[in-house]
Amino acid sequence: MPLLEVRDLHKSYGALDVLKGIDLTVDPGEIVGFIGASGSGKSTLLRCMNHMEVPTKGIVMLEGEIVGVTHKGDRLVPRPARDLSQQRRKMAMVFQHFNLWPHKTTLENVMEGPVTVQKIPKAEARDRALAALKRVGLKEKADTYPSRLSGGQQQRVGIARALALQPQVILFDEPTSALDPELVNEVLNVIRSLGEDGITLVIVTHEMRFAREVCDKVIFLDEGRVADMGSPDHIFGTTENPRTRAFVQNYFG
Amino acid sequence: MEYDWNFAIVWDYRMVLLRGLGQTVLLAGITIVLSTILGLVLATLRDSRIPLVYPVLSTFVSVVRAVPVLVLLVWMYYCLPILTGLKMNGFTTVTIALSIYSAAFYSEIFRGGIRSIDRGMIEAGQSVGMTRGQVFQRIVGPLAFQRIFPPFVNQCILVLKNTTLAGYVAVPELLYLGQQISVRTFRPLELLTAVAVLFIVTIVPLTLLAEHIEKTFHNKYYR
Ligand SMILES: Nc1ncnc2c1ncn2[C@@H]1O[C@H](COP(=O)(O)OP(=O)(O)OP(=O)(O)O)[C@@H](O)[C@H]1O
Ligand SMILES: [Mg+2]
Repeated sequence: MPLLEVRDLHKSYGALDVLKGIDLTVDPGEIVGFIGASGSGKSTLLRCMNHMEVPTKGIVMLEGEIVGVTHKGDRLVPRPARDLSQQRRKMAMVFQHFNLWPHKTTLENVMEGPVTVQKIPKAEARDRALAALKRVGLKEKADTYPSRLSGGQQQRVGIARALALQPQVILFDEPTSALDPELVNEVLNVIRSLGEDGITLVIVTHEMRFAREVCDKVIFLDEGRVADMGSPDHIFGTTENPRTRAFVQNYFG
Repeated sequence: MEYDWNFAIVWDYRMVLLRGLGQTVLLAGITIVLSTILGLVLATLRDSRIPLVYPVLSTFVSVVRAVPVLVLLVWMYYCLPILTGLKMNGFTTVTIALSIYSAAFYSEIFRGGIRSIDRGMIEAGQSVGMTRGQVFQRIVGPLAFQRIFPPFVNQCILVLKNTTLAGYVAVPELLYLGQQISVRTFRPLELLTAVAVLFIVTIVPLTLLAEHIEKTFHNKYYR
């Protein structure tokens, strides 16, 4: 059974159809990259996955359960808030602009999910958070407030915050595109190491070289559809799809 | 012109003036509590999805904000009893008028503060699995509080100043008593100066305290 499955997913905003029927699966341990032009719907797809956007049509399944809604007879009705919370906890998210909470220290940012959502005792959550910070190389910054960290460090804390939830999959939305070029690698290296540890990753990225090296599967989104999908060798090499070739060529010249 | 200052008169009437200050502070205190509560209710309800609530409340806020507070007070004191047969004493009328008036401003301050919180903060909360209530309690509330605090204190100071209008309906607050004594003693310069000084020594420490707290927030979280 795939860990994550998207079935016939549609999302529109008024008359604007952003996602026009997406089907895909993510297997346990798999690293899946999403590429595509600006406005092709990558962020929207990611946000539909954890139900931060409610799909217009279609469903997302996590471990065989529909995310955010449930069957009632032959209708789909919203799940209780508690259920959705637990589903979201299993799909931690890392944001383009980090979105760390400025009024909490690094450690508090990372502990917040385990304590508030998972109701884990403080001392245990603290250990877990420190382990997550250590994992991204920022244990010594535990008591620092986010405003005193570099962008690269903030994003690593964002990753630690996701890790501390012990999620089944981590969703990244362009984790390095708000960073100065010299800070990109420290973040990519952390992400790469998560992949090597077998954590399931879904990554929207404009870093083509990284996608080619790290991903097991790359999905090319074009105007709200999966236009092409396959191994990095396929997407960045052998594909016959002219749109993919044009898009990729833009990056590699 | 040589004026022969005689501040002994202020000392002679110190108890009366302090009683006036007491009345002023009491009036301001009750008004601030009531209008904060009312302001919170207004702020919460205005963003509710219940039909008609939004247009009704936003009209209410606009109307109240467009009426000079003295007009609201005098109208409630003289016209409202005639229209409704409801009689209230001066103190109650001032408290209600000032509270309604200030609530309109407090509600805008609260709403503005809450809305100014970056959506990304909320989404981060949702993404770790927080419910709406948890997001408000853990993230939006504390962050909005920091934003709301300075304009909130400002508004409280305005309330304190606006209590001087209570004299119009014969509530013995500081300015009213100061004026009464000056008429009786022919010493308006001394007494009105004393009134001004009493306001200053009440308000300036509040301002300083507020600035200190604001700076503490800033240094702790944003430097
Ligand atoms: N809340 C919204 N309301 C209206 N339109 C939206 C909303 N969110 C996204 N859109 C539109 O949906 C389209 C896809 O947006 P999305 O952010 O998913 O693209 P993207 O592939 O992530 O682009 P980028 O690479 O720039 O991040 C865009 O045209 C955008 O304007
Ligand atoms: Mg995007």
